Amino acid sequence: MAPLNPYTYIQCPCSDSASLGRPSDATSPTSAEADDEDNTFDPRAPRANFSLYPLEYLLYCEDCHQIRCPRCIAEEIATYFCPSCLFEVPSSNLKSEGNRCTRSCFQCPICIGPLSVTSIETPPSDPNLLAPDRAATQHSTYSLICSYCNWSSTEIGIQFDKPNSIHAQLAKIRNGGASRLTAKERKERRKELSHRGGEAAVAAAAAAAAASETSGGQDMDLETQFANLKLFYNSQLADPNAGDNGFSSLGDLGFSSPSSLSRIMNLYTGGKLHDPRAKSKLGAMREAITADEGLLEPDLDESSLISQLHRSDFLDTASSTQVCSQPPNLGEPHLHGAARFNSSLRPAPYLLRTKRSKRCPVCRHIISKPEAKVQTTRFRIRLVAGSYIPSISIRRLNLPGSNGPGAPAILGDLLEPLKPVHFLLTFKNPIFESLKVTLGAPAKTPGRFPSKVTVLCPQFDIDANTDVWDEALKDNDRESSGRSRRRAGTESQFQVEVGKIWERGRNWVSIVVEVVPASLKLEQGQDLLKEDEDVLEIPMFVRIEWEVENGGDDATTGSGRDKDQKEKRELAYWCVLGLGRIKQG
Amino acid sequence: MSSKRHSILPAVSAGPKPPVHFSSSITIADSALLTGTNLITISSESVIHPRAKLDSLAGRITIGRRCVVHERTMIGAIGTSGKVTETAVTLGDYVTVEVAASIEAGNTIIGEGTTVGVGSKIGAGAVIGKHCTLTPHTEIPAGEVIPDFTVMYSNGMRRVDKRGVADLKNKGQARQIDVLRRMIPSNPAKFT
Repeated sequence: MAPLNPYTYIQCPCSDSASLGRPSDATSPTSAEADDEDNTFDPRAPRANFSLYPLEYLLYCEDCHQIRCPRCIAEEIATYFCPSCLFEVPSSNLKSEGNRCTRSCFQCPICIGPLSVTSIETPPSDPNLLAPDRAATQHSTYSLICSYCNWSSTEIGIQFDKPNSIHAQLAKIRNGGASRLTAKERKERRKELSHRGGEAAVAAAAAAAAASETSGGQDMDLETQFANLKLFYNSQLADPNAGDNGFSSLGDLGFSSPSSLSRIMNLYTGGKLHDPRAKSKLGAMREAITADEGLLEPDLDESSLISQLHRSDFLDTASSTQVCSQPPNLGEPHLHGAARFNSSLRPAPYLLRTKRSKRCPVCRHIISKPEAKVQTTRFRIRLVAGSYIPSISIRRLNLPGSNGPGAPAILGDLLEPLKPVHFLLTFKNPIFESLKVTLGAPAKTPGRFPSKVTVLCPQFDIDANTDVWDEALKDNDRESSGRSRRRAGTESQFQVEVGKIWERGRNWVSIVVEVVPASLKLEQGQDLLKEDEDVLEIPMFVRIEWEVENGGDDATTGSGRDKDQKEKRELAYWCVLGLGRIKQG
Repeated sequence: MSSKRHSILPAVSAGPKPPVHFSSSITIADSALLTGTNLITISSESVIHPRAKLDSLAGRITIGRRCVVHERTMIGAIGTSGKVTETAVTLGDYVTVEVAASIEAGNTIIGEGTTVGVGSKIGAGAVIGKHCTLTPHTEIPAGEVIPDFTVMYSNGMRRVDKRGVADLKNKGQARQIDVLRRMIPSNPAKFT
């Protein structure tokens, strides 16, 4: 079993159901504590998974004086940039050009490695390989090559004439090298078709449709189909007599007709059941029936694909992640059977990344703001919780008297059931004021196997995080005063005393927690041990109090009062201490 | 030759000096390590980088023409089986063995024009086809047979290379060797 390193997770108050339920008074300390006595936070509850974070993940709002977790933060995007070329993309371009890099940054469709543009030389006809190059005089074409796996865009029949503006060139080329239809060409082709259609009689429409299906329908790409459909429906909407064939009342019954849709919408929106105006305006519309109207019959004949599958390996087929990473390609034929083989995957332009700034959702103040320049990784504003609330580190404490001398405490050791163990919790104060800490832990941990927990010193002060050098200079005074680093007296040095702190330093305090791990013996009728149920986790309520000088930034509250008056601040939250695994059986 | 040792580690035991058969046009750095008891053959214009290790304890090692064997490679590693065969490792022509790759001994054959990527491991008795590409950190199990023109990915995926640029690649290799020959001081006399 993997050894377990002790950990401390902090519950963000945003997910506290008690404070959600009662908005105002739950935040006041007395009622919160009274409430928590009979409502201990259970770290094993399924919901707890979503609210527990290591200290490093948390931010802190200076104005609300509250911890903010990734769930209770409003994000806004500062810049978009390409991770490959680090080019910043203006957000206006995003709407027109999509969320991918439009420069020459591409990823290999097989292995996601970066692709580079390489010129393709004609194979040397000279058997002497070291003959001087004559390639410079030749007109060369270019392809995208993955230097990791040697994939080349020539494998899917794509070559480029120029080494620059690959994105624009690629957009025009279909797989296999055929160029994509431009809007102009499409128009011309349609004109041609309609010209032909005009010559034919209406009776021969079915035959024409069949003919166009074989000629135009097969290679109709998404773009052409959409354009055809749009044109068709526009003409239908414009033509008032199109559906007026005496069956309008019958046509109304169909679900696809616009009038019945509007009737259904009226039912929900509470309008009149029959809108006479709408009924008179919208007749039943005909659906597209030929290819040049945008009808595309699904190509159900997949025998060629199946035979290709027979011939190929499993590894030749594209995995779902590969298919999903493909950008939408409007120049492709229809989706039936698209991109199932590796051979039909196209190079994918890099997805853009973002830099985001984070705001407190309550007071809208910015908590974290990166520098706008893409190249820098610095932050302009970053209020991490680690510089506001004390960090808690856990260490196993082996007392020479009880466990035999010299038994070294190894982190990740299994805990013996029903044998008391001591853990040293070290609280480190990051702020420049002294902290008053009050701890609360349930006597028995929640869950099926309750372990007994005793916090030997639930109330203590931590000195301010003063300048290190000040402290060093003052060290002599400190020795003579009563606040020694370790409690004086050699005989009491290794004895755990209730109500006394174990050790204290410049801005840290260690206290001892005694734990009697539960026995994991299963009684009859009990379910088997669930995953990680042997991990000893202690929920602990931490309340910290400190005083700040009522400075200029809080001028609104302190305007009438004395400026020098100190203001009391407090913060309370649950945290979970994971101490170790309990030995089984 | 008598450069000062800067490492505090004990010197690697040189082992027995193997019989060698070198072409006159090869480039071999004098800090390359050749050990073993069987014949090591290096054909014309191949390049052996400094600190490449060739061990012929488990059989003969044959390196083809215009091969490049990079630093810290281990060719002819005695694998878990420890079997001694007549031929340990055979590299075809135009093979590149990149940095820190290791090729186990035991009738292992690497075909012409194949590139063995950085940190790859090839098991004993594997037969790699011609013009294959093994991407970095690929592991080929012992006895595996890889067909020609295969690209092996480190996650076990494979693909057939259809570029058909084998000649071009060989040409590139020849040019690279041309440069390397000027960069690496060769000292084949040390090993003969």
